[in-house]
This record gives sequence, C-alpha cells and structure tokens, in this order.
Amino acid sequence: MVAARKIIPPPGAEPAAVGSPPPASLAVKGGDFLFVSGLTAVDLKTGARLHGTTASETRQILANLKQLLEAAGSSLDRVVKVNVLLHSMLEAPNMNDVYAQFFPDPPPARTVCGARLPDGAKVIIECTALA
Amino acid sequence: MTEKLQRSTIEPKNPHLHASRRSNLPHVPGIRVGDYIFLSGMTPVDPQTGERSLGPIAEQVRTTLSNMRHMLESAGSSLDRVVRVHVVLADISHMADMERVYREFFPVDPPARTVWSMQLRFGNGCEIECVALAG
Amino acid sequence: MREVIAAPRPGLDLRRHYGHHQSPAIRAGGLIFCSGMLPIDPETGERRHGTLTSEAHVILGNLKLLLEAAGSSLDRLVQVHALIYDSIEYDVLNRVYRQYVANGPPARTVWAAQIEAGFKIQLDVIAAA
Repeated sequence: MVAARKIIPPPGAEPAAVGSPPPASLAVKGGDFLFVSGLTAVDLKTGARLHGTTASETRQILANLKQLLEAAGSSLDRVVKVNVLLHSMLEAPNMNDVYAQFFPDPPPARTVCGARLPDGAKVIIECTALA
Repeated sequence: MTEKLQRSTIEPKNPHLHASRRSNLPHVPGIRVGDYIFLSGMTPVDPQTGERSLGPIAEQVRTTLSNMRHMLESAGSSLDRVVRVHVVLADISHMADMERVYREFFPVDPPARTVWSMQLRFGNGCEIECVALAG
Repeated sequence: MREVIAAPRPGLDLRRHYGHHQSPAIRAGGLIFCSGMLPIDPETGERRHGTLTSEAHVILGNLKLLLEAAGSSLDRLVQVHALIYDSIEYDVLNRVYRQYVANGPPARTVWAAQIEAGFKIQLDVIAAA
C-alpha cells in the first residue's frame, strides 16, 4: 500500500491572507513520520517574527514546536531527529541550555551547525517526529 | 520481528542528470528505502547537456526543480509526494526570486521546507535536496 | 515506536562528555537517525582535531561502531549530509569518504557549514535499520 501524505495545518492560526498561500507547510505527515519545516521564532497566531537572543528565539521555537506536534497528534518525546542551524556556533551552548529544558529524556538525535540564516534569524530548528 | 528494509538506487531516465556517474562521485542520485525516497542535493544542470547551467537565480531554481521533478518521476514518485525540501542559496538575498519560482513547482499543499545560505561549489546559486514518498 | 541507540563505546556519549542534549542515534520506522558524528576518540571522548582526512577517518570509524551496534552498517546508509568547513576540501572529502561507501554509496549532500569546536568535518547520516 502506498504511503499517504497529509498537510498538518498550523495550530490556532488566523486564516491566511487571501492570495498568499504559504511557500511551505509547517508540517507534513508521510508514512510513519511527521516532517516539520525549519522553524524560526514567530508568534504562531499572527506569524509575526519575534527577534531576540539565540536563547529567547530557541525558547519560542520549541514552545511553538510543542504546540504544533501536539495538534498533529504527536509530541516532543516522539521526535527522532532535530537539525539546528545557528547564525554562529558560538551560540551553541545558549541554544543547548534552553533546548535541554524542552526535550525529555531520552532526547532525539541532533545535528547542529552554523550557516547564514534568512531574515536575521539567530536560529532555525527543523525536525522529524513519529506521527 | 519486522523484516529489514532494503535500499535501492534511484536513477534519472535522462543520463545527463546522473551527476555522480558523470563526475565519478561517491554518491547516487537517490535511494529508495521503505516508503521513502532520499535524493542527493541537486544543482542547476542543463538537462540537454549535463553541463552546469548558471545565470539568474530564478533560472537556476527553475532548472534545478525541473530536474528534481524528472528524478522523482523516473523513480515512480512526483513533486506532490515530496515531504521535505532543503533549499540552500549561495546568497540569502536571492530568497524572493527563489520563492517566486518555487511556488510554480509546489503551488498547493507544499512540503515542509528549510531555507538557508551557505558557500556553494562551482558558482552554483542554489542546491536543493528533498525527501519524498515513494510512488 | 522510537528506540534509543546507546553509545556503543564510552567516548561516543556526547551528552556525558560535552553536555550535548542528544542521543547518539534513534531507531524508528525501520530507519536509524544518527546525531551529527564528530571526530572524537570513541574511548575517551577527546577531540581528535587534524586534517579533514584524519578527522573523516575518525568519524567514519565511529559511525561504523554506532551503526553496527544498532544492527546496521555503513553499507545500509541511505542519506548523508557531509558538513565540511570549506568547500575547497571537496576533493579531499571524496577521496576519504569513497573508501567507506564502496558497496553502494548513499544519497549525499555536501554542506559548507560552521562546525563545532573548529572541526573540519561532521557527518549527519540516516541508515536503514
């Protein structure tokens, strides 16, 4: 049987502005897994960017991720793999300290690296979770 | 006890798009395993010649995504079965141009995506990688 | 269900050595998702800085240990992200990497990224269980 693909709508968001469909779905279910887009620090209701420190952006992202996963019938403890992109690897400990508060033991696999991020984001977090 | 999944190689029907064979590189265009297809990162390559096809970023993105469509269709899948995309741009200021073209390929119910910028080889303006559901 | 693959050698427990909040690998859905592997000594966890080539050998040796402990192997890799500190080392990467994936290499994307601790290479991989 061919695996089905399903878009997960953003939890609690206001309807998208007419004529402006998003370029990416926040999360897509396919087979056993939920594939979550790289998340930046935003207000989930309005989509407004919430710029801050790497730590505060990490906190916002992971709070949003928790909501998103739970709305999709998953949860942070079903995450299998996380990729964290940082604007600078010097910030890795700041990200890690906040990150450790969100993912219960045992944590998922993870890769962290530094890159140039869009729109002045300090951190982007993407993940794959069991649906 | 579940049986182990077997891997198989994805090859493009168009041999010009088999970049790793052309350049004798240690990777395959894609791997199918279980329900999934993992493609190697794709860069703008002229499907008529197999040569690098640079130029304005919009054209590079269009070429790359057309080639990605071909790769998936060669494997019995399609763009609408893509679940995750990574778009790497050499220059982050190219995002808007990339976006305009990207929407043409994923107009409805687009896949999950992460976009960022890194140094790319050979003057490539973009490199795009995806995971899709097998057909 | 999601199953943790524990570090098969004490040095590969990055959480214990470096406080990285991650498991070495997770098995789920018939796949094994590995944390980005670094050039660290598999027994002591000490950093093994060197050339890209020497670091790659340490990483691939560590991945072999990890995947085999999980019932998999380097021959069952499906996707690799090869993070290198500078794309000028692309040919060097290929020369060493090729030695480990001779029996059918997986899909791969090379990322020129900033890697922790000034390492020259990190490998982020998914394998079939």
